[in-house]
Amino acid sequence: MSVTVRTMTPADLDAALAIEHESFPAPWSRGMFADELTRPGRIWLAAVDDTGALVGYGGVMRVAEEVHLMNLAVAAGCRRTGVARALLGELRTRAATAGGRHLTLEVRERNESARALYAAEGMIVTGRRPGYYETGEDALIMGADLPAVAVGQPGPAAGPPVAAADAGRELVLAIETSCDETAAAVMRGGAELLSSVVASQVDFHSRFGGVVPEIASRKHTEAIVGVVDAALEQAGVSLADLDALAVTHGPGLIGALVVGVAYAKGLALATGLPLVGVNHLEGHIFANVLDDPTVGPPLIALVVSGGHTSLIHVPEWGVYRTLGETLDDAAGEAFDKVAKVLGLGYPGGPVISRLAEEGDPAAIDFPRAMLRSGDYRFSLSGLKTAVINHVRHEREAGREIHAPDLAASFQAAVVDVQVAKTVRAAREHGVAVVCLAGGVAANPSLRESLRAALAAEGIRLSVPPFALCTDNAAMIAAAGTWRFRRGERLGLDAEAVSDLRLG
Amino acid sequence: MSASSTIATGSAEETRAAGHLLGTLAHAGDVVVLTGDLGAGKTVLAKGVATGLGVTDPVTSPTFNILLMHRGRFELAHFDLYRLDSAVQLEDIDFWGVLESGAVALVEWGDRFADELPDDVLTVTLTITGDEARAIEARPSGPRSAALADAWADAWAGRETCDG
Repeated sequence: MSVTVRTMTPADLDAALAIEHESFPAPWSRGMFADELTRPGRIWLAAVDDTGALVGYGGVMRVAEEVHLMNLAVAAGCRRTGVARALLGELRTRAATAGGRHLTLEVRERNESARALYAAEGMIVTGRRPGYYETGEDALIMGADLPAVAVGQPGPAAGPPVAAADAGRELVLAIETSCDETAAAVMRGGAELLSSVVASQVDFHSRFGGVVPEIASRKHTEAIVGVVDAALEQAGVSLADLDALAVTHGPGLIGALVVGVAYAKGLALATGLPLVGVNHLEGHIFANVLDDPTVGPPLIALVVSGGHTSLIHVPEWGVYRTLGETLDDAAGEAFDKVAKVLGLGYPGGPVISRLAEEGDPAAIDFPRAMLRSGDYRFSLSGLKTAVINHVRHEREAGREIHAPDLAASFQAAVVDVQVAKTVRAAREHGVAVVCLAGGVAANPSLRESLRAALAAEGIRLSVPPFALCTDNAAMIAAAGTWRFRRGERLGLDAEAVSDLRLG
Repeated sequence: MSASSTIATGSAEETRAAGHLLGTLAHAGDVVVLTGDLGAGKTVLAKGVATGLGVTDPVTSPTFNILLMHRGRFELAHFDLYRLDSAVQLEDIDFWGVLESGAVALVEWGDRFADELPDDVLTVTLTITGDEARAIEARPSGPRSAALADAWADAWAGRETCDG
């Protein structure tokens, strides 16, 4: 069989979906493919046989020099025939030509054949993401440098807000310790990500002697030196090369925040570098710009995570109007707690969204709290209680709980309210783009429902890749560079603010 | 020391009202441990305590942040120890430092670290008795918490008499 690799187009989608479904337990949807094909910074390739039939496809996302393999699949009958190798080789070449220098990917730990392929291509295991897949399996992170390619226009994708104002190539080190993650990143010019290290995603057993950071400030204290060093080392720069430091100074867990703030202040004092404070939520919004530099105000941002559920109007960068927040539980927290009630594992989001795929979202009519409140506030505590009451009633009646239906109905109740309020806010404020941010942005149902509802209004939805949705320092570097350019500085007497407001 | 007392509420609003009463009676340094299953109404009761203390900012679940501080007549330190898994971590979040700072402390899931709590705390246990009905048991462990529990039970009884 002779195979040709060419650029993938929407005409390939039918065949690609068939291969996708036979290849993965949690396949991508048509909407995800269609969206990916149109996004900037992506390279999608199709492999076709001599009859023109699709036998495989693969795609990468490039942010500055970082290239991430998003998907790679080969038709069942054509595996082990070099198709995957041909696709991967061409993806690497094209990504390198576009300015990429380092390729990473996630692979199921138990997918031996894929691991063997990547290893044969010179990729080495650099870390692990526990429970990454919807099946609960761990992902191994593999990476390799891309060949150096002489290019006419190297460097980052240019675009607003940071790069449009780009006079400079400022080198900024950012530190984020607002909650569970110890993270550091180095960025040039507000867009070119040189490194992004998140402690729990690094292979700490080999690198830092088994330290796995968690809630505790002590753990942040143990990890931060190594994480910052790793970020500088991966970026290939030293403290002397930096132009500024940025740090998350709120909101978050005070005992965690103070570690990052104290370390950043110490570095600022020792090096004389200017220090900039960044609001964690502003960072989440800037994560959208890292992925797609064309995203810019006026916009509406929906930040949904374990600790936040906020709808924010951004008429211009630096101006944030919080339209509404949760009155009680955050969306991610509701997912975790319902999963707990059902005896499913932690974290609850992936487990519930996976179960929900097999359930009927209309099976149980859970309350849509605040749906008609006329404002932008959210309440999720009542929904949690409704789920608990339902479970109790069913058990008392001697009926078995149908977990997929319950998960689907619960998820639909959460998603309906988020979508309705976000669409209304976008319409009311006349924005052309909505940014989804925070860990719950990984929920497929929320993304798809929001995308469809916004598309009907002619409004675009921006969703960062998963690694930029969860807590990271790259987003703090992007927001920090912007604030640095405005001349904002955090004094060495400044303290972390656990309830820091955005605005 | 008084024995435990129990308040029965019939709605989330009543549970909040019971919390509000407790908030009006609390003094600097009081530690109230809130226990009960998920959905039993710990955060609802906490919202009431906050308004009773004169806190005006929104009181949301501290599960993610573990500790949220609010300003009222006294500082309200609202802990949620749900995500902690060892007592060592209490030191990491400066648990005892905050308790000794003169704040009124509400500690959700505090029963998970019962051995680590101060001697004189009021343990408030919420039990689901119906869709919205709750039994709120107050169990003191020292003289100050006993006085608080008595005052709370009296105030609640007085409120019920007045109401009806």
